[in-house]
Amino acid sequence: MAESKLDLLQGTLDLMVLQTLAAMGSLHGYGIARRIEQVSGDEVLLNQGTIYASLVRLQQRGWISAEWGTSSNNRKAKFYSITKKGRKHLADDAAYWHRLAGVMGRVLGTQGEGGNS
Amino acid sequence: MMDRLQESFQRLRSIFRRSQLDHELDEELAAHLEMAIEEDLQRGIPREEARRRALIRLGGVEQVRQQHWEARALPRIETFFQDFRYAARGILKSPGFTSAAVLTLALGIAVNATLFGMVSGFLLRPPSARDPERVVVISSVNPAGGRWSDVNLVSAPNYLAWRGGNHVFESMAAADEFRSASLNWQGQTQALHSAAVTAGYFSVLGVTPQLGRDFYGEEDRTGRNHVVILSHEVWEREFGADPSIVGRVIRLDREDSTVVGVMPANFHLMGLTPQVWTPLVLSTADQSAIAHKDRSLFVIARLKRGVTLAQARAELSTLARLSQQDFPDTEKGWGAAARTLPDFLVYRFGIRTALIVAMTVVGFVLLIACANVAGLLLARASSRWKELAIRMSLGASRLRVVRQLLTEGLTVALLGGSLGLMLAYWGIQVVRANIGSNEVIRRVQLSLDWNVLVFTTIVSLFSAVLCSLAPALAASRTDINSNLKDESRAASAGRSQGRLRTVLVTAEIAAALFLLIGTGLLLRGILLVEQQDLGFQAERLLTGAVALDHARYKGSGEQSLFVQTLLPRLRQIPGADAVAIVSDLPAAFSSRIGLRIKGQPELPASQLPRALDVVATTDYFRTAGIPLLRGRKFTDRDDTSSPRVVIVNEEFVRRYLKNQEPLGKQIRLDVRGGTADWSEIVGVVANIKTFSEADHFDPQVYESFLQRPVPSFFLILRTGADPNSLTSDLRKAVAQTDRELPLAELRSMSSVIENQKGSTDFFLRMLATFGILALGLAGIGIYGLIAYSVGQRTHEIAIRMALGAAAREIRMMVLRQGLKMAGVGAAIGLVLSLPLPKLFAAIFDDLHTGNLQIYLIVPAAIFLVAMLATYIPAHRASRIDPMMALHSN
Repeated sequence: MAESKLDLLQGTLDLMVLQTLAAMGSLHGYGIARRIEQVSGDEVLLNQGTIYASLVRLQQRGWISAEWGTSSNNRKAKFYSITKKGRKHLADDAAYWHRLAGVMGRVLGTQGEGGNS
Repeated sequence: MMDRLQESFQRLRSIFRRSQLDHELDEELAAHLEMAIEEDLQRGIPREEARRRALIRLGGVEQVRQQHWEARALPRIETFFQDFRYAARGILKSPGFTSAAVLTLALGIAVNATLFGMVSGFLLRPPSARDPERVVVISSVNPAGGRWSDVNLVSAPNYLAWRGGNHVFESMAAADEFRSASLNWQGQTQALHSAAVTAGYFSVLGVTPQLGRDFYGEEDRTGRNHVVILSHEVWEREFGADPSIVGRVIRLDREDSTVVGVMPANFHLMGLTPQVWTPLVLSTADQSAIAHKDRSLFVIARLKRGVTLAQARAELSTLARLSQQDFPDTEKGWGAAARTLPDFLVYRFGIRTALIVAMTVVGFVLLIACANVAGLLLARASSRWKELAIRMSLGASRLRVVRQLLTEGLTVALLGGSLGLMLAYWGIQVVRANIGSNEVIRRVQLSLDWNVLVFTTIVSLFSAVLCSLAPALAASRTDINSNLKDESRAASAGRSQGRLRTVLVTAEIAAALFLLIGTGLLLRGILLVEQQDLGFQAERLLTGAVALDHARYKGSGEQSLFVQTLLPRLRQIPGADAVAIVSDLPAAFSSRIGLRIKGQPELPASQLPRALDVVATTDYFRTAGIPLLRGRKFTDRDDTSSPRVVIVNEEFVRRYLKNQEPLGKQIRLDVRGGTADWSEIVGVVANIKTFSEADHFDPQVYESFLQRPVPSFFLILRTGADPNSLTSDLRKAVAQTDRELPLAELRSMSSVIENQKGSTDFFLRMLATFGILALGLAGIGIYGLIAYSVGQRTHEIAIRMALGAAAREIRMMVLRQGLKMAGVGAAIGLVLSLPLPKLFAAIFDDLHTGNLQIYLIVPAAIFLVAMLATYIPAHRASRIDPMMALHSN
């Protein structure tokens, strides 16, 4: 189990992207992808390309904005940053995930004990 | 909520900014890859390897594009338009394929739409009545059984008893529909088709006159009944649509009648709409025991609120039982039936089955057309397998490819449907022009109405699915790897495709054979009927109908006198070789009558031998050209003062006298209103057809007009000239005898016969055309599929020839392939069509399909067509130059 990477649940990638942008400020697609890989300790199975679908989705909902800029190595790249609306949504979603993670933890914990007895 | 709305808007917007968005994404991805490569380069990985790693981690440029597009736009709709555009482009690029496919489908759809136009005209247009489903038609049920025995008309006493005794109907009314009225207007007398109706008739139907009023309740009583309602047609034609007609007095049946109303133009049930309506007066005579035998009223009733048809039926059978108890002599075994008005009309006019048969035929034509187009699409798709495989390997999903093929089918089907609709417009004109001579059928409006449009759309969509099913199925099974590796497109098109093609060809042959046998049987049936001798000479005969009214001709004496005055006048017409008067025209329906034969055991009324009963004057047999075989004809002395005599036909002697000596035998006719005296058979004449469209003879009895005068009869006049040239003389002769007596249905006997051909004839010819069309389509389909499969096997054939196979062997190989399919298809079709003769005999009354040569002829024809369709590609295959073919790849 430890060797295989985690499949992303529907919607989790969007949340990760939002969190990354909230933490790092303005960032391009490659940067976001790398950041998620690093933070997750390479545990997340990520086709970097899927970031772009997530980005366009978030943009259409008005949670992030984008503008063309120049990268550190002088390449033209699209830079994304989180909007006010995005931050609010992130707060809501993060709270939801914390609660869910807590509940899941408790449920699985009791299940495990039950299974052992 | 707002976010969702905004998102939808953005998605919609993105459809129109597609190229810009794609371009931006491409730039972003290029930057992405560059950055990833640079990172690896810094770690000392070679450029080639770094690029490979970057692409893997990105997950494929094409896939990212697809995901991106799905996330931002409305993938379904956009895909559809994209596929559509793609299909349209592909279709425009190969005009040959397109026109073949579109034309084939257009033909298939056109015949379906045309026929459905008839279905719509005949079956789907509701009769003129408010809530027609709540109006029921009440009929008497004849215990003798047989066709239409359950839609007998009702006798006046039964109508009165049932109207008074029921608890299920809100109202009930009756009509005597087949009367004739003479209208004397501006010095001209003409016969109008009239119906006598009880006062509540129109209110049961729930219709009101367009002008004026309905009959009042008391107007169906003697003395108050000189009122009339005009049809729109008569109002327009005779009275110039004069709006002040209501209240005017017109001369009808020698009496003054007040016009009280005019019906709207669209008022019709089915069949002939009467031209005038008069009140139906039921007198005490109509309640007598003998009146029970006279079943001549069309009875309708409106169901009470909440009463079901089943309840009404139960009540009617109770009432019919009561009638049986009260009048066992005449009512024994007779029942009562009820049908809703629309149901009754469709049933009574017997059109439904004919239309169902025709719809089945055109359905088959469409299936064959679809099989052809499926074959074409399959051939086209398989020349693109590699393209499709590449698309799939680049990330297009299987579903996407299937959808694209379906869109292609849809495009072809929609084009075919539009063209088909145009053809159907023309087809309906042709039908309308040819359906013809039969007046009842001609009255039905045929047009390209909404029903037809909707139907055509559905049929087009349906055929789109049918056509693209085969290639889509094949595509969904395609193995990307083998297709990509498959260097030589010629090697073989894959086993599953080969099987699909075989199935298509076999099915086409089976369907075509089934259709041809079916239409062949039907056509043979009508040809048999038409080639049969009528039994008399129909050419150069002029006919006209006269109905003597009760007002002037009260009894048989007056009726005889009229005829005796008229006949000499007719004989004086220049060009008239012979003239006669007869109660029914030959081969044009006569009433049947029960009879007893002296010396044979007495039978109950329901089991009496029955014969057609015709009353004729002395010269009838000479005038009509019916040969006398034995004994004598009628003479002027066969009148009421001498013993009753009859003449019978050969069939009568054969069936009822078992070929014994007929002359001198005594028979007694069970005529309406009592039993006549014993009559002696004095002559035997040749058979004539009972009805021109029937294929058999019935026993027939002729009575002398002077011994039994009838009030309504036909004048027939034989001439050496064109019969129509004598019409005005005939009119004049009748007018000289009685100025106010109309002469109706003035026409030649040939046109009477032509008129009777009516719909079946045209109908069957139409079916035959469809059958031939199906054979043609199937032939083209077989040719196309075999030719294509030979094309696919060019490589293989070339190798065989290079290895020494002779041209003849190659030809045989291809031929065998084609004939095997034809054989299997023909066998299936034959088995399917075995029950057809029985089925047709059940559906089309009196249609005998004759011997079964057709079961040999049609398969032979099919084989011939299959052989031709296979031979051309086989011949071409045998002439392949192996070196050319092997190098050309």
